[in-house]
Amino acid sequence: MRTRIVTILLFALLFGQVELVSAQESFTRNWDGQKIKGVRHIAYPTYTGFPFLTDGWVPGKIEFTDGGVADSLFLRYSSFKDELLYYNENVASQIVIDKVSIKGFSFAGTDGNIRTFRKQYYDGYMKGERFFEVLTDGNIDLLVYRKMSLSSTTAYKDESNILKNMAYISTYQYYFYSPEKGYSLVRLNRNAFLTKFSETDQKQVKKVLRKNRIRIADEESLILAWKIVEREGLAINF
Amino acid sequence: MKKIILIFMFLVSIVMVGNTQPKSSYGLYTDRDVYVSGETLLAKIYLPEGTPSHIVCLDLVNQFGTRITGASLVISNSEAEGYLQLPDSLSSGTYLIRTYQKHNAGKLKTIREIWISNRFDGLEKTSQMKRLVNASSLLEKSTSQLEIINLKPDYKTNSKVEAGVKIDEALLKQLDGNLLVSVAQIDDSFSPSVFSVQDEKAREGIIERKGIIISGTVTDKKTAQPAADITVYLTIPDSLPGFQYYKTQKDGRFHFLLDKYYGSVQAVIQCFGNTPLQRLNIKLDELYAESGALPEFRTQALPEEFKNNITRNIAAVTFRKVFNQDVLTFLAPPQKVTEPYPYYGKASNVVDPQLFIDLPDFTEISRELLPGVKFRNYNNEPSLLVMNTSMHAYFEDKPLILIDGIPIRDLNVIKDMGSVDIDRIDICQNERFYGDLRFPGVVAIYTTKADYSRLPESTQLIRLKLETIQLPTKLAEPVVTEPTVPDLRQLLFWNPSTKPNQDLSVVCNTSTIQGKFKVLVRGRLKDGTLIFSEKQFEVK
Repeated sequence: MRTRIVTILLFALLFGQVELVSAQESFTRNWDGQKIKGVRHIAYPTYTGFPFLTDGWVPGKIEFTDGGVADSLFLRYSSFKDELLYYNENVASQIVIDKVSIKGFSFAGTDGNIRTFRKQYYDGYMKGERFFEVLTDGNIDLLVYRKMSLSSTTAYKDESNILKNMAYISTYQYYFYSPEKGYSLVRLNRNAFLTKFSETDQKQVKKVLRKNRIRIADEESLILAWKIVEREGLAINF
Repeated sequence: MKKIILIFMFLVSIVMVGNTQPKSSYGLYTDRDVYVSGETLLAKIYLPEGTPSHIVCLDLVNQFGTRITGASLVISNSEAEGYLQLPDSLSSGTYLIRTYQKHNAGKLKTIREIWISNRFDGLEKTSQMKRLVNASSLLEKSTSQLEIINLKPDYKTNSKVEAGVKIDEALLKQLDGNLLVSVAQIDDSFSPSVFSVQDEKAREGIIERKGIIISGTVTDKKTAQPAADITVYLTIPDSLPGFQYYKTQKDGRFHFLLDKYYGSVQAVIQCFGNTPLQRLNIKLDELYAESGALPEFRTQALPEEFKNNITRNIAAVTFRKVFNQDVLTFLAPPQKVTEPYPYYGKASNVVDPQLFIDLPDFTEISRELLPGVKFRNYNNEPSLLVMNTSMHAYFEDKPLILIDGIPIRDLNVIKDMGSVDIDRIDICQNERFYGDLRFPGVVAIYTTKADYSRLPESTQLIRLKLETIQLPTKLAEPVVTEPTVPDLRQLLFWNPSTKPNQDLSVVCNTSTIQGKFKVLVRGRLKDGTLIFSEKQFEVK
């Protein structure tokens, strides 16, 4: 009997405290939810190919330029327009978040790994702020600009039997990036990778690649090659 | 198993209760005890250990409990420092300085008695003074482990004081936080009471963990019941207006967090009914602690020495005012990232009507100058539509209309605005979102006067001047521009954030004021005990 009374009393005490804490949290939620500014997303024209990076909405996190963070949002990155969308359940709308307000964002990929995107100023051709996916993070970063371009193709008929001559085509661009030295474009092949190093270092890079049996042909092998070469202390010649 | 659950629950309860209860009272110190109206009062507050709030209030009330002025100070390491500008119009008498945190103001307040003399009346007509009765003073321990050294018994006017503070090594380990070191003129004939008001039964409010919180309630005007699902807007008008909104729940309550503002700001809080016929009433909670039970005062004769000191102080303060000898230097607020564009988005068009021919009203302005904006005033029923550029059609809904950043719904407010009244107009021709708010186009009008006089008076709108977080300050260095201008400082040294060290130096210059001065060192031990050490000297 005594134990039961003590249990009830403790439960009552706990309940009171939890109520106080959750009341505080509900205000915080209300305040935090106001950070996202944007415009309604207008559907892109349908062509062959896919303008978004992911097939559907993926839960992710956004870091804002004002230091704020919004977590557990349904995100979708538009490779076509280089913009980030989120789904606002409360107003049932797809919203393009103001690029100027975003510092970066991340979400879990299909393999479970976190994919991180960072907004950076690109000073090459077509200057401006771009979202780069960070493939490796270090003194020199390996970045990719996951761009989908709308290009003209030979005429075809879509599912609705409408004749079209445009398609979304992947034009991903890979860069080595250093905040001091800027961007250096690299293509997905061995020779392009080797040219990023000084002539004296190239020999050693070749040796390292051979030793680790790496053949640069895709994104995965480029990341692997760079990680190993970086570990060897070889620097990119910007 | 049962036992483990019981022990766990017991521990959790203890920890939670421990977190919400302050362990001791506040230490409230001012630079002096006797002031003249128009002067600046400096204060240092030691707060109870583990206080969850980020803000502490400091205010001045009169004997009847009426709040005269106040400030919200940022708490850092359970300490806070700030100042109060004593209004020029205060009549001579005893006043109370209070410090508290808003969430538990009813539970715990610390009050300090001070004297303020009116600068213009003096004490010629005053022969009696009211003093607090039986106020039990807060315990403070004088310690010899804090030794004030190298202080001569007397100094000449305008000479250098080079003293030191020696802190015992054992005490150094026990000290918690910074020390307050001050050198100020004293008045022996007035020793103030400092006491705590505690009421364990009082209710607790929301803890100001990040910044100042403003709360209130929205009720339906017809039923007088709390109104749910009402969006309450808070606007801080500026060139880039600050904006927040809050959706009320069943209790009709709303709360706004002000964590990025410093000093005094103009704010507008308003709400709109969910239907055109719904009328609401918006009421703000008390921004400051209520007076509570007033302490008892008794009348006593004004000592002649005190009277003479006051006369001298009044002359000194008046002189300093005439020669603009500032007491404080304002420091820059902590760096905050400012918004790159207004909350309603980057304008697709910005129009300055003053660059064009003078137009008499908003109909003409919209017709001639505003692309994609259709304002019409047929039969005195104004309407406003904005073009949605991505759909090449006008939005069916009314856009967000702003005057100086403040949302308005009544178009009659803008219909008479001509070119002379408008500084600029921002137009957003797309469907904007701000959190869960949807704006089908935006027309933001910035007026030339920017005095918000066009805002309609309503029970759904509150205009108020808010005292947000006080700007950090430090004691101004004495500046003597001409040798004939005397230096009339009564406070020679004030450092409320002195880092404890075995040897501290206190260097300052005496002013032309003669009389008794005191070097005071105050601190707090890890167990919450407030300690002090003092030494007097005379300026001749």
